[in-house]
Amino acid sequence: MIDTIHSLNIILPILYSLTLGIYLYDFIKDDSKVHNAKRIFLFITLLLHLLYLILRTIEFNHPPITNKFEIFTVLAFCLGFSYFLLELLTDIRGTGSFIILFSLIFQLISSFFIQDLIEVKEVLRNRLLGIHVVSALGGYAGFTIAAVHGLLFFLLYKEIKFNRYGLIFKRLPSLEILEKLNFYSVLIGFILLTISILIGFIWLPIAFPKISYVDPKLISVSIVWLVFGIGILTKLIAKWYGKKVILFSLIGFVIAILSLLVSNVFAQTFHSFY
Amino acid sequence: MNLIGISINHRTSSIEQREAVHLSLEEQQQFISLLKNKLLKEGFVLSTCNRTEIFGIPINHQIHPNLLFAELINFKNVDNLEFGNVESYDSENALRHIAHVASGIDSLIIGDSQILSQCKESFRLSVDENFSNTTTRKIFDVAVRIGKRAIKETLISQGAVTVSYAAIQVIEKIFANLDKKEALIIGAGETSELAAIHLNSRNIGKITITNRTEEKAGKLAKKVSGSTILFEEFKNHLHKFDIIISATSSKDFIVSYSDIKSVISKRKGTPIFIMDIAIPRDIDPKVKNIDNVFYNDIDSLNIIVDQNLQKRKHEIPKVQNIINEEIDGFYNWYNTLGIVPTIKSLRSFFESIEFDELNKIKNKVSDEDFVKLEEMTKRLVGRILHNPTKKLRELAENNDDLDKTNIHTSTLKYLFDLDNISENGNKE
Repeated sequence: MIDTIHSLNIILPILYSLTLGIYLYDFIKDDSKVHNAKRIFLFITLLLHLLYLILRTIEFNHPPITNKFEIFTVLAFCLGFSYFLLELLTDIRGTGSFIILFSLIFQLISSFFIQDLIEVKEVLRNRLLGIHVVSALGGYAGFTIAAVHGLLFFLLYKEIKFNRYGLIFKRLPSLEILEKLNFYSVLIGFILLTISILIGFIWLPIAFPKISYVDPKLISVSIVWLVFGIGILTKLIAKWYGKKVILFSLIGFVIAILSLLVSNVFAQTFHSFY
Repeated sequence: MNLIGISINHRTSSIEQREAVHLSLEEQQQFISLLKNKLLKEGFVLSTCNRTEIFGIPINHQIHPNLLFAELINFKNVDNLEFGNVESYDSENALRHIAHVASGIDSLIIGDSQILSQCKESFRLSVDENFSNTTTRKIFDVAVRIGKRAIKETLISQGAVTVSYAAIQVIEKIFANLDKKEALIIGAGETSELAAIHLNSRNIGKITITNRTEEKAGKLAKKVSGSTILFEEFKNHLHKFDIIISATSSKDFIVSYSDIKSVISKRKGTPIFIMDIAIPRDIDPKVKNIDNVFYNDIDSLNIIVDQNLQKRKHEIPKVQNIINEEIDGFYNWYNTLGIVPTIKSLRSFFESIEFDELNKIKNKVSDEDFVKLEEMTKRLVGRILHNPTKKLRELAENNDDLDKTNIHTSTLKYLFDLDNISENGNKE
């Protein structure tokens, strides 16, 4: 089994590169021959990625969330899978290359540095922690997808506004659709992050009696949650549209990335299990 | 192939000249009956606002395309056209020209898909008027197939090539569901009408027309199942519209920067598409600086039109390949036409011998033996004729061996004296 895991670790970045290549080719050429094939490629890649994650969990007897590079591969999968679902539900296929690029980057870093850890802290084998981490990662994947759609919204907005009718104008869906995709991704990300935070509030004091609520990670996640929450409220209650709402999601995404960096690399937190 | 034709089109003549020779449906019917008796055995007449074409098989070899032109000039009593305003075609050139027309690559706007349905109508008229036969019907089939394949297999008809249609392309990049959007058309002239019709064809939620003359607004509204609003009042309702298209003959701006500024604040940033197709302009172009206002005038939309026309031009070689394929197919069929009567005569000749010889012995053998002999002679004739028939067809279907086909057909005819064989196989 270990050989299969190691092989998949090498194959996955190659598969993501191929899938990205096909998505990019279709974006540039709009070739009908690969229009349907690209989805099959993504499906196969995700299927093998899922197999890889399951095999790791079985082989090492813990979910793949015990270090940054295991988390990166789960994040790569969450991004790809969320996009795949979005594409299936909406049949909008023009934005895939921009999201799969993130999957490829995360998987590439993971494949390079990932280690086979058998001995881990007992807390990392906890199921609730697994749900807590996976829902948080799902939330971040949602915010990343929202940010990509937000950026694409701005690009298309500028193209139309300044009467530049290039590739972005031709291939992307309408501004309204991009805005919707951004909003729904934010909404899904927000719900998943809320679940993660709730599990954290219930489970963490039990697992860590000395928990501090001024922990850098808790504060940064709360800020992220608040920014996205305000963004959602302005849309739902104040009926804001377009650029202003999207700006919230982009600011939220930047804060989310910064908070991850700060809390995981620079700051001391009880969240550092490894 | 003895196909001839003339074309008076956008390349050869002015719009006035094209209008002068334009044939209405009734005139086409009359002209066809004239051609049938004097010049052509079969053929068709195509007349649109951009071209008038007459093609067909002449009743004899002396008929020249110029005679078709003279007949048309005479029929329409036209004096502003000369031979220089006409393109004339014969044999394969004629066939290729028909293919170019049907595929849209000869149109004023390359890839104009309307021309295919106009060709179909002309072909249908030819059939209805008994002005078509085996060859022209095959030409019609080939031309229609080329037109359909060009649309299906290439991008020759894709993308907006008019300003109004280009505006729709931009609108569709802003809004997702046009059926939930409202449009205001300011003006009720020809340009406004075209824009309104395009919007209506895209199932826009609601179209409202405003015009200084209320009656004209009403007429256009009726055409596009829309409603009207008084010209003096439309500014009070501007914020309700997602799309504003203006094409009036006003000398001054009728919608100002501050009008749109207040509209966008009432709409809480919901985008608005503005298309000003009037010259001079109706809407202050400064409105394009306002957030969520997508302003377009004729110049900006012409960028899309030019891009799409360029794209269509790049598709011409692909269409040419389709035309080449289909013309090859046509000649494969056409070349077999010459040998079909020869094969028929040869078969009849052998069958008549078989019949004669069987008759001679009919009373000399038993009924049972006669049936056996009949079967045997049939098999014999079939086997004797199998190879010559097969080889001749193969030669005819291969364009390169046309001379060889003619030599073999002539030899067969000479050896068996087939030119003097009647349909039942007996000597005439």
